[in-house]
Parts: sequence; C-alpha cells; structure tokens
Amino acid sequence: MANDRSRPVQPQSAYRAAHGGHAAPQGRGRRANKAQLTSQLTQTLPELDVEATRAQLGTPVITFDHVTKVYPAQPNKPALSDVSLQIYAGEFLFLVGHSGSGKSTFIKLLTREIKATQGRIFVADEELTTMRNWRVPYLRRNIGCVFQDFKLLPSKTVFENVAFALEVIGKSKHVVKTQVPEVLRLVGLQEKFGKLPDQLSGGEQQRVSIARAIVNRPPLLICDEPTGNLDPQTSRGIMDLLERINRTGTTVLVATHDREMVDNMRRRVIALERGRLTRDQDRGVYGFDV
Amino acid sequence: MSSIVYFFKQSLKGFARNLSTALGSIITIFLSLLIIGIFFVAGAMLNNLMRSVESEVTITAYVADDAPQEDIESVMSTITKMQDVKEVSFTTKDQALENFSNSMTSNPEIIEQLDGTNPLPASIDVELTDPQSVETVAKAIESDDAYVQISEDPTNPGDSIKYGQGTVERLFQLTNYIRYIGIALIALLIFIALVFINNTIRLAILARRKEIAIMRLVGASNGFIRGPFLMEGALHALIGSILAVIVIQLLRMFAIPSLQNAIRFLDFSVSDTMYLLIYLGLVVAGIIIGLIGSAIAMRRYLKV
Repeated sequence: MANDRSRPVQPQSAYRAAHGGHAAPQGRGRRANKAQLTSQLTQTLPELDVEATRAQLGTPVITFDHVTKVYPAQPNKPALSDVSLQIYAGEFLFLVGHSGSGKSTFIKLLTREIKATQGRIFVADEELTTMRNWRVPYLRRNIGCVFQDFKLLPSKTVFENVAFALEVIGKSKHVVKTQVPEVLRLVGLQEKFGKLPDQLSGGEQQRVSIARAIVNRPPLLICDEPTGNLDPQTSRGIMDLLERINRTGTTVLVATHDREMVDNMRRRVIALERGRLTRDQDRGVYGFDV
Repeated sequence: MSSIVYFFKQSLKGFARNLSTALGSIITIFLSLLIIGIFFVAGAMLNNLMRSVESEVTITAYVADDAPQEDIESVMSTITKMQDVKEVSFTTKDQALENFSNSMTSNPEIIEQLDGTNPLPASIDVELTDPQSVETVAKAIESDDAYVQISEDPTNPGDSIKYGQGTVERLFQLTNYIRYIGIALIALLIFIALVFINNTIRLAILARRKEIAIMRLVGASNGFIRGPFLMEGALHALIGSILAVIVIQLLRMFAIPSLQNAIRFLDFSVSDTMYLLIYLGLVVAGIIIGLIGSAIAMRRYLKV
C-alpha cells in the first residue's frame, strides 16, 4: 500500500495491482502539471497517470470512525452502518450510491445537521458528536455547501445572494465589497451581478450557489448532486469549476449520480450501498450498473 | 454594533412584510397595556382616596361628664403607649359643642333648640398610624380598667367607643377584591398579548424560513438568526406601549378634569411622579412581553 489509509473494504486491490500497486492520486507537488492535465481532461481520454503519487498526506481533515446512523423512524435499517474512512486536505472525491444508500445522511453528518448514533466523526480535529450546539455555526463556516436545487433567495440579486452569506456571519461591508465580485468572477458570472436568480439559466444559478459556498473561503466544499438538474454540457462546466476550486487547496466532496462525470474524472470514489461503505477507490469509476 | 443595525433593518422589513399581523399584535399590546395602565391609574386614585378615608379613621372614646381630670390624663397616657397609636388628644364638652355647631352651620336652628344646654360628652380622640389596626386598639381601650371607670356607662364601655366599625372593614374588603380582580385581569391581558406576539413572530419566521435555512447553512450564529425576530417582537411591543402611554396621557389631560368637575367630592388627582412611573412601567413591561413572546415563538419554531 502506498498510503497509510486504513480502509475497511478494499475491493480496489485488483485495480491497484493492475497499475503497479501504486495507490496514487494527484498530489500537491504536481499541481502545475495537473492543471494542464485537467484542462485536457474533459476533452480527452480519462487521465490514468499512474506515476502521479499522493504527496505528504498529513493528518486527515475528516475522519469517520465506525460511524452508524439509525433514524428513529427506521430502527432496523441503519442509514449508515459502520462507516470508517479518512479524507485528506486537498482531495477531490466522489460519493456515489443509489438513492437511499446513505449519501445524504453522510453529508448531513458532516455538517452536524444530524448526530451519529454510534462512532465518532472528526472534522479538523473537532469531534462532531460531542460538539456543543453553539459551536455548530462555526463548524459550518468552514464547510461550503452546494445543492441540487441551488437554494438561492429569489428576491435577492446574484450579488446579494452571495453577499448574504458573508453578511450573516458578521463580515464587514468592506470584505463583502471585495470578496463577492472576486468570487463571482471566479465562477464566471462577472456580467450578472444585478440579475435575479429567475433570470439565470440553471447552470448559472448553480454557479451562484457555488460562489456563495466558497465566498468565505472554506477549506471544505460539499456538493450534493450539484449537476442533478443540469444537462451534460452545463454539468461539465460546473465540474470544471469545482476542479478549479479544488486546485486552490479546497477539499471537494461531490455526491453524485452522474456516471459519466465520475468515470471521466477518475478521482477518489467512495461508494455506499444500503448504508455500507462498499468501495473506496483512488481514481475510481462510478461502478454501479444503471 | 453593525449587527444591531442589521437586526433593526431586518425587523423593519419583517414589519412591512407582515403588516396585518404586525398591526394585530401592536393593537393587542396597545389595548392590553392601555387597560393595564388605566387600571394602575385608577388604582393610584383609589389609593389616594383610601388614604384620605384612612386618615379620618379615629377612635373616639367618650368620657363621662363627672370623670376626674387626672383619671382622664392617666388613661390618655396608657393609650399613647399602645401599638399603632399616633396621637391622642382630648376634646372637652365645650369643644365638642363648638365642633358640632361648626358642622351644622347650614341649619343653625338645631343649635338654637339646645337652649344653651350641652348634651355632648367630652372624648378622648385617638389617631392611628395604621388604620387597619383600628379594631385591636379599640378593643384594648375598651378592656382597659381605668377607662371603664371614666366611661359614660361602666357596665357597657363598648358603647362609649366609636370608630366607624364596619365601614372601614368593608372598605378594606372592597379594595382587596378590586386588587385581586385587577391582578387576574392583568395576568389575562399579558397572556393574550404574549399569544399574539408569539403568533406574529411565528408568521415572521415562516415567511423567512428559506432565508433562515441558508443562514444556518453558511454558519450564521444562533444569536444572529434570532436577533431580528427578538427585535421585531420588542419593536411591536414598544410601539404598542407608546400608543398606550399617549392615550393615557390624553385621558389625563381631557377626560379626568371633566370627571373631576362632575364629581367634586372625590379627589382624582394623581401625582406627576406616579404617572411617570406608570408610563415607564408600561413601556418596560411592553418590551419584556415582546421579548418573552418572541422568545417563546423562537423556541418552538426556530430550532437552530
């Protein structure tokens, strides 16, 4: 094993053996090179650079330690059962699985919308299960969230929607005035500041919601089906954007059904099936039969 | 500081958004506080009235015409030592007659009919510090042996002691009833105001639930999410209480003088400081009701 991750299920060993035993996603040291690669990525064949090795991983930013979540409504059918995994800073990973496999539960656990029934979850050295309620908002400031349905405020303009995220965490007007245009330029909406969400296409709306998620520069970006409502062309644009954000050092976790996207990008894939972690694979594929 | 400004802006926006319910809660608060305020003003008037009645509560212990002066003086000094006794004075037969004729100026023929005789007895007059203890003091005088000796009828000294029995008691009972009814009424009105504020804030929360979801998502602190709603509740209550104060002030300026004109024998005047206290109390109570009402609504509908 090239890295020290402890994984409960490792069906990817065959895949690894076939590629020289190098569990090797993209590392920080090769970022410049990777930038080039990723620009071709979406146009050309999937990247299979077996040479690329993960640089010093350091300590994980997210750790799931035998986490089980049982909803009171379904006491015999845990939404997540005994999930253990680690996510490192700067990773880009996909969370795949059918509906009801526990993807949303996984994300809700990360943002402490719900608490784990058993096991422990660490985000940046803080244990979420014992975290005091008043600390939760400060946790969420470090996690950007993007959803399938954008969750934009229809009465606010693009600029105001993004600014809102800064205003409500008490950032000064000055910060709002400098950060918001910058992040809107980053997502490619520099021309749409004054538009209302209704006047934008789906892809543009999702860009606004991504801008809102990253405007506070969180180290972790979670996307729950970010392309679920978008056509393939637009989806690729969104994924490019997420990849660009990842290259700035942000850890990106994407829960998705989009087989093509996962297969094309060849990033780490975590697969859930009926609440169990069935696969954790570097540079993996979607892997489920449609 | 900037967040206070933000809360204020948000609560004004919420106000505009839910104008009808906001007006509803303001009017409820206004009416409740108005009634409470009127009650307090009336209470202050009644208190004044009571005090003037109470100050007139004295015990008159009549003394036989032939009682020796030194016995009277010794009885007076015993009474002076009793609890709750403020002052003890002596009214001679002549003074009693003079007082009587002064009070009867409207029909002097009564005095004339007396034909120079004086049927009125001399008396020991006792003023009390606490009018409520009038009965105990009266009983104590009645059972004092020295007094029994000099009373008009030693076999039945109780007959010689007059202190407006009954009327005083009844008056106290009445004011006590009024007090209980007042407390119950005030509690009820406060409850109604709380329910209305609670409802208004609930609607405000529902109207903004999308925004609240996003605020939670991006990590707005609980205080920041709740601030505007607390402010909104307090603002409604503040407006309502100010309206109540204005109306009471108007009543004071226009209604009470004409009432005083109509009923001259009662004193309706209440001191300025009392009014000021009532106004302050209404505003503070209003704000507290507003804060509590919205806090209850938030506990129930705004899980953060």
